[in-house]
Amino acid sequence: MMELFPRKQVIGFGFSLLLTAIALAVYFFDLSFTAGMTILLVTAFVQAAVQLVVFMHAGETGDKGSIYTNIYYSLAIALVTVFGTLLCMIWGYV
Amino acid sequence: MEFFERFAIPHPSAPIYASMVAIGLTVIAIVAGLTYFKKWGYLWREWLTTVDHKRIGIMYLISALLMLFRGGVDAIMMRSQTAIPENTLLDAQHYNEVFTTHGIVMIIFMAMPFIYALMNFVVPLQIGARDVAFPRLNALSFWLFFMGAMLFNISFVIGGSPDAGWTAYFPLAGNEFSTSVGTNYYALALQIAGLGTLMSGINFIVTILKMRAPGITLMKMPMFTWSALTANVIVVFAFPVLTVALIMMTMDRLFGTHFFATTNGGMDMLWANLFWVWGHPEVYILILPAFGVYSEVISTFARRNLYGYKSMVASMVGISFLSFLVWTHHFFTMGQGALTNSIFSVTTMAIAIPTGIKIFNWLFTMWKGKIEFTVPMLYAVGFIPIFTIGGVTGVMLAMASADYQYHNTMFLVAHFHYTIIPGVVFAMIAGLTYWWPKMFGFMLNERIGKWAFWFIAISFNVTFFPMFFTGLDGQARRMYTYSEATGFGPLNMLSFIGALGLAVGFALIAYNVYYSTRYASRNISADPWDARTLEWATQSPVPAYNFAITPQANSSEAFWDAKKKGHELFKGEVQKIHMPSNSGVPFIMSCIFFIWGFSFVFSLWIPAILATIGIFICMAQRSFERDPGYYISVKEIKETESKLRGA
Amino acid sequence: MKIDHSLPLEYGTDQNQLNILGFWIFLGAEIMLFGTLFASYFTLVDRTGSGPSGAEIFEITPVLIETIVLLTSSFVIGLGVHAMRIGRTKAMITFYAITLLLGLTFLGVEIYEFMHYVHIGAGLQVSAFTAILLTTLGTHGAHVTFGLVWGFFIILQVRKHGITPETANKSFIFSLYWHFLDVVWIFIFSFVYLKGMM
Repeated sequence: MMELFPRKQVIGFGFSLLLTAIALAVYFFDLSFTAGMTILLVTAFVQAAVQLVVFMHAGETGDKGSIYTNIYYSLAIALVTVFGTLLCMIWGYV
Repeated sequence: MEFFERFAIPHPSAPIYASMVAIGLTVIAIVAGLTYFKKWGYLWREWLTTVDHKRIGIMYLISALLMLFRGGVDAIMMRSQTAIPENTLLDAQHYNEVFTTHGIVMIIFMAMPFIYALMNFVVPLQIGARDVAFPRLNALSFWLFFMGAMLFNISFVIGGSPDAGWTAYFPLAGNEFSTSVGTNYYALALQIAGLGTLMSGINFIVTILKMRAPGITLMKMPMFTWSALTANVIVVFAFPVLTVALIMMTMDRLFGTHFFATTNGGMDMLWANLFWVWGHPEVYILILPAFGVYSEVISTFARRNLYGYKSMVASMVGISFLSFLVWTHHFFTMGQGALTNSIFSVTTMAIAIPTGIKIFNWLFTMWKGKIEFTVPMLYAVGFIPIFTIGGVTGVMLAMASADYQYHNTMFLVAHFHYTIIPGVVFAMIAGLTYWWPKMFGFMLNERIGKWAFWFIAISFNVTFFPMFFTGLDGQARRMYTYSEATGFGPLNMLSFIGALGLAVGFALIAYNVYYSTRYASRNISADPWDARTLEWATQSPVPAYNFAITPQANSSEAFWDAKKKGHELFKGEVQKIHMPSNSGVPFIMSCIFFIWGFSFVFSLWIPAILATIGIFICMAQRSFERDPGYYISVKEIKETESKLRGA
Repeated sequence: MKIDHSLPLEYGTDQNQLNILGFWIFLGAEIMLFGTLFASYFTLVDRTGSGPSGAEIFEITPVLIETIVLLTSSFVIGLGVHAMRIGRTKAMITFYAITLLLGLTFLGVEIYEFMHYVHIGAGLQVSAFTAILLTTLGTHGAHVTFGLVWGFFIILQVRKHGITPETANKSFIFSLYWHFLDVVWIFIFSFVYLKGMM
């Protein structure tokens, strides 16, 4: 039975629950916007990284380079799109 | 009766009725012809169900040429309407429809399939692969594109054409101001074609990353393959943006949401923003493969290896990333303030740097080369100065404060035609002429081809150069007419004359295809241009399995090395070759997508639901299907090879 | 068909490796898809018109249930892939089935949540904010729904054919999809709900 529950994945799961609990702090405590957003950004991206490495086995074959390049590239462009859009649609007008 | 009224054209005219009749007659003629010559089985077995990248490439090519004709007719109509002041050939509504469909057809349904035609045909051959990574998906990509194009093109005879410009800005594209179903066609047809393109993007990235023949490292890939890789990277990351934007547009128009409305919090500017987040990278999706074609053509006909290979690659990778950082320059005048505009102004100008590097590399490749002015080379050489004018005016437009003067004038129209026509259209014709013998086993006539080049190159400048002046004088784009007092008349007449010249040039190309099909010699070698890359190392026309033995490469010009430096391309014995089997599902699924799109356009919910179910059934079929493919035996390969060599 | 035994079965053939890399690149496209939805969401989040704002309609309980359920399902499908790699067909099918059941639970809560929104006057057509909220959530929900059907088909195929290079490949790719949906949900949970209730 034990061999069906590899240590690495169980720890990963525990860690992701922990991250969720930390993120919930912004709901239960009265934090400033900056503090709250910092917590959310950190927990969300760490959580995503946990999924990527522990569960999705992103780095286990020779295609590791292609896969990580692909993910970083799309993440970079997605962030550019989000912040660029905010710049053009909201922040630019203040 | 009420049910059928929705399919009527809101703004009919004699030419539209004439086209209806013409379309009807053409369809009848095609059906009758296929039946009479008993070609239905052939069509189904060899084309509709094919998964061969070469045949799919040729189908893309045929679609692109048809759409070039359609978009060209639109262009001629626009130029004739504006040839003289206060002209009444077209009314305002028709003019709106014509410039809208001209833009969409030329970008999405002409240029895109044209680059995919060349990529499909050439990329697997250049890297010595048997086919693309997912041949079946490739067929689906093509058929989705095709059905999207057909859906878009029936709009002008059923329900009315889109008329809000190819950018379809809100609130103009909302229900309030675009009351016909035209803009629904826009949303659905682009959605379907866009899905196909996204799948192609994934397919080609995987093909290029994983299926290269031994010896072809990333930095030993031919330049066209590199350009295909960078372009497809842009496709994969840009097209989802269009998907989302179109979903939101569809929901605004059909389900009464307020994404881009002017009420209840909606934000019309968001459409413009999302459209260009996709739209600007789209421009580079078109231009990068064109750069790839020029690189191949120039090094072949200058008889030199490409100058600055690494910097060429670096600049294309740079362009593919920068292309996502500049979109705001399409709406500098929307009011987002000096800081935002400055940021995007700088990134825009930055793109001129890698592009400039490429231009100089081509010039250095030709420097001291033994240049042979064949038709493809003429287009490549013609491209450099004309495109540079487009690039320089682009930098002018990139200056945000100056852009307030140029915005939405004919100056802009002249600028982007100066980039797209030499950049993309010239390249596609060059590529077509260059790879034609590989596709069809005979060459296009050089003399007619040169006449066509001179007609096109000169007429192009006659058509578009005057627009720089009228634009600076204040002639706005998309206006169906102007008064005599503006003084725009003579220059617009000049543009019209140029447009006629362009028509003659393209007609000459069509005539060349006809003439060469009839008279050109079939007795040509597999390498008629004395070229450098691997696609020329196999037979013409290319057998289904591409290469009897997988080639071994040692550089980006393995075939040249084989010819001149004694490099051995084909080592080892012929072995049986695994091939993917044909499938009718991509075609059927795309037909269902067509019905799906059509039902959404007219809000016919029951067929829409049925079509959705049909699409999912096709996907389920694919999931459960076990398709082992088939093998071509050694005997068969040897027979094919000796037959092709003998011919 | 050549099978390379130095790698897990799902990578065993050339076509399998192509499929997995292709799916990763598809996920890159999906990142952009959701990135665009987030860009639109952040732009429209305060544009509530005459409708309610996020803070007025979000409730922590269903959101927490959805989050825990989806996180657990992502963990369980990870176990499923592990079971597949050590050749335990039955355990694998069980884990996959639990994953789908958790997915179904998630979907049920989300449907309840949607009905609740419509009920309290935050339907799709109310404002730009409600439209982008429901579209973003709905796009994720549609992915989950699609995944449920897809996963069910895969379970059927594993039951019928056992763990072969082909079924292993399909199952692995499905697990990538499912983990990805979990990642997307983390971002929705953080930047739609928690930020909205902050």
